[in-house]
Amino acid sequence: MALKLTSKVKVKNPLGLHTRPAAAIVKMLQPLKSSVSFTYKNETINARSIMSILMLAARKNSQIVITTEGEDAEAAMRVMVRAFEEQFGEK
Amino acid sequence: MYLVQHLYEQHGKVLGLELVAGRKGLCRRIQKPEVHRPGLSLTGFLKNFVNARLLVFGRNEIDYIRQLDEKTRFQRLQSILTHSTPAVIVTNLRVPKALSMICEQKGIPLFRAKATATSLLSRIAFLLIEEFSLSVTLHGTLVELFGVGVLIQGESSVGKSEAALGLIERGHRLISDDVVRVKKKEGCLIGSGPELTRHLMEIRGIGIINVAHLYGAVCVRTDKQLDIVIKLEEWDDQHFYDRVGLDEKFIDILGVSTPYHILPVKPGRDIVLLVETIALNHRLKDMGYNSAKEFNTKLLETIAQKRRKKKI
Repeated sequence: MALKLTSKVKVKNPLGLHTRPAAAIVKMLQPLKSSVSFTYKNETINARSIMSILMLAARKNSQIVITTEGEDAEAAMRVMVRAFEEQFGEK
Repeated sequence: MYLVQHLYEQHGKVLGLELVAGRKGLCRRIQKPEVHRPGLSLTGFLKNFVNARLLVFGRNEIDYIRQLDEKTRFQRLQSILTHSTPAVIVTNLRVPKALSMICEQKGIPLFRAKATATSLLSRIAFLLIEEFSLSVTLHGTLVELFGVGVLIQGESSVGKSEAALGLIERGHRLISDDVVRVKKKEGCLIGSGPELTRHLMEIRGIGIINVAHLYGAVCVRTDKQLDIVIKLEEWDDQHFYDRVGLDEKFIDILGVSTPYHILPVKPGRDIVLLVETIALNHRLKDMGYNSAKEFNTKLLETIAQKRRKKKI
């Protein structure tokens, strides 16, 4: 049964969503099957593509809407929200 | 968000615009791709006056308001210059004091242009329509082969970027890797890449590379008309892949029907060669030669001939 979920998160990293967090996002999504997209300032991109995430050039405190759709949509959403909260392991 | 400032910066030179008043209003939004000569509204007939349009004052308008008495002139101008008027452009004439005073006071950018009202109307309308045209961001890699714009799509890790890299090595051009912005222009689709990631490609195991630096300026392009879409898929034994090529598939992008091909990926298949062949075949079809159809026609004739011989 395919679920569609949306959540609003904030970028907490001081340097914004740069290369390392983008690579971390893609790595975390690899084992999951759902389609995941980020919407920032009216632009919606595929979160499985590093280039697309980088293109957003999202800085600290930017609001991003995460959308997950698929059989493991809930798990994907949990992983993503936690990752944003934990600043992708950056200090 | 399209501001008057953007129009001035991007097209001011081409249109010959000179800012005369209302500088503080440059941050005003252009909400619609509409430009309009006030005409009848200056006579006080405001029944059908539509707000939030760019206004162009030509000789007719200037001569008309000049022959009004000062009080009426101010009144009429005040009624059409509102908080939602993005900007006013006067053609190559002396700007009436009342007009510049009201624009300065209300903070509406007032420009003077070196052109006739008719020419301004059509040129600005064209520029605004292009600016406001439909666009979408697609996941895929856009390359140019033999003059054909090919959008390579597929799941992450199916090999889009690797195929594109192979094509670039063979002398073709990259427009954008992984993220393509497509805009509809005059019925055609124009694809481009975001400036930030221009010339960059992301290859698993290698990382982010700059192909312009590696292969030279000849292998990149800023934008290209999107002619065909090729979807790379993992080979699926259950799926029946097109073996004849008579029925052409299409995909709808922003309302434009675009030729669509599904290419199964399997170790040992030279995807780069196959993508080149699809592009070449498309070029041939564009020139009027459809190999599959021609062959089928010939086959049907041969069958018909054999039947005739049998009857005799």
